[in-house]
Amino acid sequence: MTTTQIPTAVRPKGVAPAHKPPRRRREGAAWVFLSPWVLGACVLTLLPMAVSLYLSFTDYDLFNPPSWVGLRNYTQMFTEDPRYWRSVVATLTYVAIAVPLQLGLALVVALALKGMKRGKGFYRSAFYAPSLLGASMSIALVWRAIFNDGGTVDNLFGTGGWVNKPGWALLAVALLTVWQFGAPMVIFLAGLQQIPGELYEAAEVDGAGRWRQFLSITVPMLSPVIFFNLVLQTIQAFQVFTPAFAVSAGKGGPADSTLFYTLYLYDRGFVASHMGYASAMAWVLLIVIGAVTALLFRTSRSWVFYASDTDGGAR
Amino acid sequence: MPGMPVVPGSRTTRSWLTAAVLVLCAALTGCSGSAETSGSSGKVVLRYTWWGNPDRAARTEQAIELFEKEHPDIEVQTSFSGYDSYKQKLATQAAGGDAPDVMQLDYRMIEQYASGGVLYDLGRQKSVLRTDEIDAGLLATGAVDGKQYAVPQGRGTEAVVYDAKTWRATGVPLPSGDWTWSEWADTMRTLAQKTGRPAATDPGQSEDAFEVWLRGQGKSLYTEDGKLGFTADDLTRWWTFTDELRREGTVSPAEQTTQLDGTVENTPLGRGKAIADINWDAPASGFVPLVGEGVTLAPMPSGEDGTPGQYFKPSMFMGVSADSGHPEEGALLIDFMLNDPGAAKILGATRSIPVNETLREETAGSLTDFDRTIHDFQTTLEGELNDPPQAPPSGDSALQTTFQRDYDQVSYERMSPREAAENYITEAKAELRS
Repeated sequence: MTTTQIPTAVRPKGVAPAHKPPRRRREGAAWVFLSPWVLGACVLTLLPMAVSLYLSFTDYDLFNPPSWVGLRNYTQMFTEDPRYWRSVVATLTYVAIAVPLQLGLALVVALALKGMKRGKGFYRSAFYAPSLLGASMSIALVWRAIFNDGGTVDNLFGTGGWVNKPGWALLAVALLTVWQFGAPMVIFLAGLQQIPGELYEAAEVDGAGRWRQFLSITVPMLSPVIFFNLVLQTIQAFQVFTPAFAVSAGKGGPADSTLFYTLYLYDRGFVASHMGYASAMAWVLLIVIGAVTALLFRTSRSWVFYASDTDGGAR
Repeated sequence: MPGMPVVPGSRTTRSWLTAAVLVLCAALTGCSGSAETSGSSGKVVLRYTWWGNPDRAARTEQAIELFEKEHPDIEVQTSFSGYDSYKQKLATQAAGGDAPDVMQLDYRMIEQYASGGVLYDLGRQKSVLRTDEIDAGLLATGAVDGKQYAVPQGRGTEAVVYDAKTWRATGVPLPSGDWTWSEWADTMRTLAQKTGRPAATDPGQSEDAFEVWLRGQGKSLYTEDGKLGFTADDLTRWWTFTDELRREGTVSPAEQTTQLDGTVENTPLGRGKAIADINWDAPASGFVPLVGEGVTLAPMPSGEDGTPGQYFKPSMFMGVSADSGHPEEGALLIDFMLNDPGAAKILGATRSIPVNETLREETAGSLTDFDRTIHDFQTTLEGELNDPPQAPPSGDSALQTTFQRDYDQVSYERMSPREAAENYITEAKAELRS
C-alpha cells in the first residue's frame, strides 16, 4: 500500500502542518487508537457491572432465569441477616488493625533503609519479597499451617492454634497482610528520598533533635505519599479475600470471626447460589469503599501538605 | 499533550486502523467460539466429568478405555476434581449452557439441576440404558416429577467409624450392634474417662448426624413440600445434648470441631486425637492409611425406642446434559458404567457397592480390604432401615454449611443452643423461601 501523505510525526521539527485538522477528526483518530482498551472496558468491565446491578434487584440461582424482587436483597441484607452484620464488623475490625500496622511498619523500615550506607539494595529486595508472594494461595496455606494447632507458633510458644480461636484468627490474617508491607515501603522510600537534605541541615542548625525533625519535616513532607498509601491500602483491605479464605479454610471461621465481607459475598454467590444477593452485596461494598475514599480525601485537606502549595500559598 | 504532533486523519491510515480494529474484534469473538462436539476423525466426542480422589480417577480412566474399545466411534474426554470445586465449576458451566455431556451428580443437586432444565430425561433412552437390575426405590431417587433425570451409581450410609485397636486397649467392650443415642453417649463418656481425652467428634456440627437423630424420633429434615421438617425445639434439644457432651469432655472441643471440612484427614480420629467419628461408609476408607487396619464400622445410634435413623442414601448419580448433542451416546456411557461386567470389575467399590444387583452379587466375592468392610456393613443393615427421604430441596446444600457455622457459635459458647437454633431456623426459612 502506498501513501502519498507524509505522516506528521516524521516531518522536520518546527514545521507546522499546513492546516490544523478539524477537532472532530482528531478525536476520531484518538478513539480508534483507544478502541482496544475501550472495547475491553465495555465488554469486560462496564457490561458485567451493569448486569450485576440488574441482578442485585433479582433472585438468581444460576439455573433459573432471574426473577425481579425489587429491593428485597437490600432490605434482607440490612434487616434480616445477622451474618451480614457479623461480616461487616469483621471487615471493619480487620481494616482498623491491618492498615495502620502495615503502614506503620512500612514507614519504620523505609526510614531505617534510608539511613543505611551499605546493603540497601539487598534489604530493600528482601523486605519487598513477601509482597511478591503475597496474593498467592500457597503462602496463605503456609500461614494457616504456621498458626494451626501443632504448627510452628503453637510449638514455639504453646499458644495453641490461633486460626481456631475466635479473636486470634483475625489477628493471624491481619499479620499476613502486615507482613506484606513491601509495596508501601518502596513508595515511602521513594518519597523519603525526595525530601531535600537542606531541610534537615537547617533543622539541625536550629538545634532540632531527630524526633523533632521527623515530626516537623519528614511527616509533613511525606504526607502526600502517606495519603496515597493510606487510600490504596484501605481500599485493598476492604476487598481482602485470599488470605481470609485460605487461613479460615474457606469458611470465615471460627464462629464467623474471619467472615470478611468478600468471603461472605463469595459464600452467598458461589456456595449458596444466590447471585442476586451477592450482587447486591457487591454494590453496597462499592458504595462504601467510594464513601470511605471520599472521606479520606476530605480529611486530607487538613493534614496533607503538597510542596508545590508553598509557591501558591495555602490552599 | 500540547506540542505533540497530531496524526491527521488520512483516509488510508484510517481504513487501516479500522481494519485492524475489525480483525481484533474477530479475534476476540473467535476466542469464545463454542467447543467442538465431533472430533477431527468424525468420532462423537463426549465430555464426562466427576468428583473424587486420584484412585477413583485411575479406575475410571481404565473403565473409559474399555468403553472406547467397545465403541470405537465414541471418544470420551474426562476431567475430575474434588467435590467442593467440582460443585462450583459444574454450576457455573451449567448456568452458561456449557454443562458436560455426561456428569456425576449428588443427591442434593438433582432437584436443582432438573428443575433448572439442565438435565436430559433419560427415560427417552430406555433402549440403550437398562435400569431393570436396579432396585426400583433406589432408581426413583433420580426422578423428579416422574422423569428419570439421573441414575444413581451407588448408595452410602452413615456409620460410627472407630479404631478398634485403640478401643480394645481401653478395656471397654466394642459396640455390639444396635445402640441408642444415650447408649452411644454413655459409651463415649466411659472411653473418654479411660483415656483422659475426648473420644469422638462432636456430632453437633453435622447436619447428617442431626438428620439421623431426627429420623430416630420419627421426624425428618424436610417435609414433602421442601419445608423444614423440624422446629427450633428439636434443634435446641440436639444441640443441648451435644453441647453437654462437649462441656464434659466426651466429644471434641470447639478448636478441633471447627477444623472439620469434609476430609477424613481433619477429623479428630484422622488426627489421632479421638477413637471414633461419624462419617459416610465409603469415604471412611480414607481412615485406613491414617489410623491403621483397625478401622471398623458400627451402625449409627437409633432413637430411644429403637427406631433406626440412618438410611441408604443414593449417591453419585449420572446424568446427561439437556444441551448435549449426543444424548444417546451419553446414555450408552451411563449404561456401561452401571451394567457392564468388565467395568464393574475395574471400578470395584470406588463409587460404593454396584447398584446393578446381578453385578453386586458377582463382585461381592472379590472385594478386599475396606471394600469388604463396607460391603459387610451394608449387608448387616439390609432390610433393617427405613426408606430414604426424598431429594432435599435445592437450598439444602448451603444449609449444611450454615448448620456447621451456627453450631460453631454454640461450641465456642457465644450463643446458647436455643439462640443458635432459632438463628438457624430463621436462616433456613429464608434459604428455602428463595
